[in-house]
Amino acid sequence: MKANPQIDELLCSFIDGELSLRQQTEVQRLVARDAEVAKRLRQLQNCSNLVNALPVEQAPVDMLEQIKRSLERQSLLSERSVSAGTHAGAWHLKVRRFVAAAAMIALMGGLGAVVYQIVAPVSPGTSGPVAIDTPRPAPVIPELLPPVAAPMVVSGPGFSGRLELRTAALTQADAFLKAAIEDNGLKGLTQVQTLPDRRIYQIECSREGLDRLVADLGTIWRNFESASLVVNTDSFTEPVVLESVTPRQTAQIIGQDSAEACVEAARRAAVLSRFAQAMPGREILSTLENDQITAIAMPEIPRPRQASNDPETKVIEAPPQGGVQTSLTIVLLNTQ
Amino acid sequence: MPLSAASINIDDSVLVQRSQTGDLEAMERLILKYQSRIFNVVLKMCGNSDDAAELTQETFVKVIESIEKFKGKSSFYTWVFRIAVNLTLNYCQRTARMATRSLDAEENESDSQGRQGLKEFLSDDSAADPAVLAQRRELCDLAKAALLKLEEPQRAVMVLRDIEGMNYAEIAEVLNVELGTVRSRLSRARSHLREILEAMQK
Repeated sequence: MKANPQIDELLCSFIDGELSLRQQTEVQRLVARDAEVAKRLRQLQNCSNLVNALPVEQAPVDMLEQIKRSLERQSLLSERSVSAGTHAGAWHLKVRRFVAAAAMIALMGGLGAVVYQIVAPVSPGTSGPVAIDTPRPAPVIPELLPPVAAPMVVSGPGFSGRLELRTAALTQADAFLKAAIEDNGLKGLTQVQTLPDRRIYQIECSREGLDRLVADLGTIWRNFESASLVVNTDSFTEPVVLESVTPRQTAQIIGQDSAEACVEAARRAAVLSRFAQAMPGREILSTLENDQITAIAMPEIPRPRQASNDPETKVIEAPPQGGVQTSLTIVLLNTQ
Repeated sequence: MPLSAASINIDDSVLVQRSQTGDLEAMERLILKYQSRIFNVVLKMCGNSDDAAELTQETFVKVIESIEKFKGKSSFYTWVFRIAVNLTLNYCQRTARMATRSLDAEENESDSQGRQGLKEFLSDDSAADPAVLAQRRELCDLAKAALLKLEEPQRAVMVLRDIEGMNYAEIAEVLNVELGTVRSRLSRARSHLREILEAMQK
């Protein structure tokens, strides 16, 4: 008999007792009437019997012990993984703490920068928008005007640096400098810091204002034991240091139109100074000390002057605003 | 005759409840109760006693791990067999090629006496007595080999019915299939097994 899936299903269900009583009766009638169906029933029944006759295998006697050992192994493995997880957790915790600390530092730095931007005066070194200022009329003092003085219409960063002056007479030098700052109308633009061994004046003003102050300092320059000028460059390079700087060199460097020009002038002066130091006979150095060379190219430093000769009605001329902005930190160091 | 599942289920729920509260003795009793039946079914499905032992062991480890999650929606009996059959079916799928090669080798090694016995079995139109069949070792070996040649789903349903003695509803629950699927799958399995045996005796 050719296999008929529907008949086979019915016969299998009959063999397995999965038919209702009525269905069983119908199958019995069918088997009784049809020899082929009866034969197929026996074939399927024999298949079932053959599989059912397969010997029943018993589980290994140590199955329970094997299960217990397997559980112990899994328990150990999970403990190890928990332990490993603990180590990993500790490591992650350290990393997270480090990252959190770094983030805090970065945040503090950022906040500090923002606060500094808000409260600090505009520094010549900072790159900001270039403002076009209306030139204020310069004081009309024809004999004191620099030979190539031209009205400065574009504001921009100029000199930025530090002038270190060493003196045994700190109090006198300090008094002189204070007076010079006041005379040149720079008091409001100067921050003073008084320390036992030094005085620090941080001046943010126009180039002209600084020129005048340096000119005043020039009158007592020889009283200083040494003077060195540190010219700031951009943040990525070392500042230029000019030892034994003269007032004229200082004025020349400060008088440049841009920060880059100031740095370049300071470098040239430093090279010349080193060259002079190395020369036998120190002729060049003495020349430099006498300002013979620099004087040729130097413009006359405009001196501060009183608007009135009457000391009682002394009017301090404010330095012209706008133009090239400079920043100078003067440090008076006590050598005693 | 296959063991009656219903008679074993009587106190399963009690043992399961005690196991869920951490009673190791109850769990051991459940293991001892089912280990050989599980092993036997798994062995008939995978054909290798070492693998069957390992799969049985794995089954009970999973039972112990999951006993707390057992909600009793099905009987413990079908639940434990479901775990075992699923593990075994996965194993069979992984090692299908190896099993086929192994069976081919076994078939070639079967002696002529076994083939003769098989011929007689197939040509006999009378109903065979399982007890008599069981004494004919060569025939049983061929039957085991033929069983392993069935597709896994058909083999599973046939083993659960003809070896474990489950009814169709229990098989459907273990295999997570419809009752009609069990019916048709079992019918095809028996028919196909006959064809395999006929091919083997030639």
